[in-house]
Amino acid sequence: MVARLSRTQERELRQLLYAGSSTIDAAMNGGTFQAALTKAAEEVEDGLGADIELVCVGDTSLDERTTAIVQAAREAMVNAAKYASQRDPVSVFAESDAEHVSVFIRDRGNGFDLNAVPHDRIGVRESIVGRMRRSGGLATIRTSDEGTEVRLEMDRRSDE
Amino acid sequence: MSDQPGRMLPTVVLVDDHRLFRTGVRAEIGDRVDIVAEAEDVESAVAAVLRARPQVVLLDVHLPGGGGREVLLQCATAVPDTRFLALSVSDSAQDVIAVIRAGARGYVTKSISGDDLTTAICQVAEGEAVFSPRLAGFVLDAFSGRSDAPVVDEELDRLSPREREVMRLIARGYTYREAAKELFLSVKTIETHVSAVLRKLQLSNRNELARWASDRRLT
Repeated sequence: MVARLSRTQERELRQLLYAGSSTIDAAMNGGTFQAALTKAAEEVEDGLGADIELVCVGDTSLDERTTAIVQAAREAMVNAAKYASQRDPVSVFAESDAEHVSVFIRDRGNGFDLNAVPHDRIGVRESIVGRMRRSGGLATIRTSDEGTEVRLEMDRRSDE
Repeated sequence: MSDQPGRMLPTVVLVDDHRLFRTGVRAEIGDRVDIVAEAEDVESAVAAVLRARPQVVLLDVHLPGGGGREVLLQCATAVPDTRFLALSVSDSAQDVIAVIRAGARGYVTKSISGDDLTTAICQVAEGEAVFSPRLAGFVLDAFSGRSDAPVVDEELDRLSPREREVMRLIARGYTYREAAKELFLSVKTIETHVSAVLRKLQLSNRNELARWASDRRLT
């Protein structure tokens, strides 16, 4: 509880101090991919009390396809926050530019059997794998007893 | 070094201006490292480090009297065997890069678990470089191929494809051991790559590295 409060306070302070051009751009023209992903991560942190370590390299515009990646990533973060170890942070790494976007969501849970996904985890198949496929991207999930990593990738040059 | 050969805990000086934080670190890892002194500002930190000559200084980036960077500038050359591990809550790339360039062997965020902090201290004590996911992200940004800034020193101003791969895995939250497994390399080789990246980060005069860091603060 204290950790969550301090995180929220830290975030507000940070925004006040370091509000970068990307934040201002985002407010002005509807947002960038990085701003949207950051917001999604913050919502999951606050909503589920999770600790998400988000690292972003590069940035790109937010359009229909990149919005789909943000939504899939959000779903993966929710899953990680709900089912994985509360002791270790969820690691999220996003790399994006005009040609390629990738997001990796990794938790330190016990993993799960992909072939026996319980009903309450239908989110994995539909909201992550299905959403990425429909948007011309790819989602792959690797899971073991050392944790689960969801990889979301999209080649933006292959716009249909 | 120790009169208890079975228990050679690394000696540590803990530098942070919040007593509550120091107390927390002591409670969390005090039985797994030997905290020989504490300090709360630049002046007391320099004095404590020179007196105790620890293996590792756990150094807060933001510190009254000039920040962690100032501690390094004032005493690092006098204690060549002491390694510095930077620690902060801040996201400011400029501050973190400044401490690294002043000689710190790594950077971790304050949200780190006690286990991971202990591991990081031991790695630094052995001379390894310690990169948090965030530092790896900073490095990938600073050495991105996107910029058209001229490469002055081929050796220092670029990351090799392998180094880039290692940084990406660290940014994804992989430990050195996991990165080694993923790339079919030994842990030793991963450590060598990370040390090489640390050296580039410290020595490259690539315009971008300085400009990119200051942009974050100015804009």
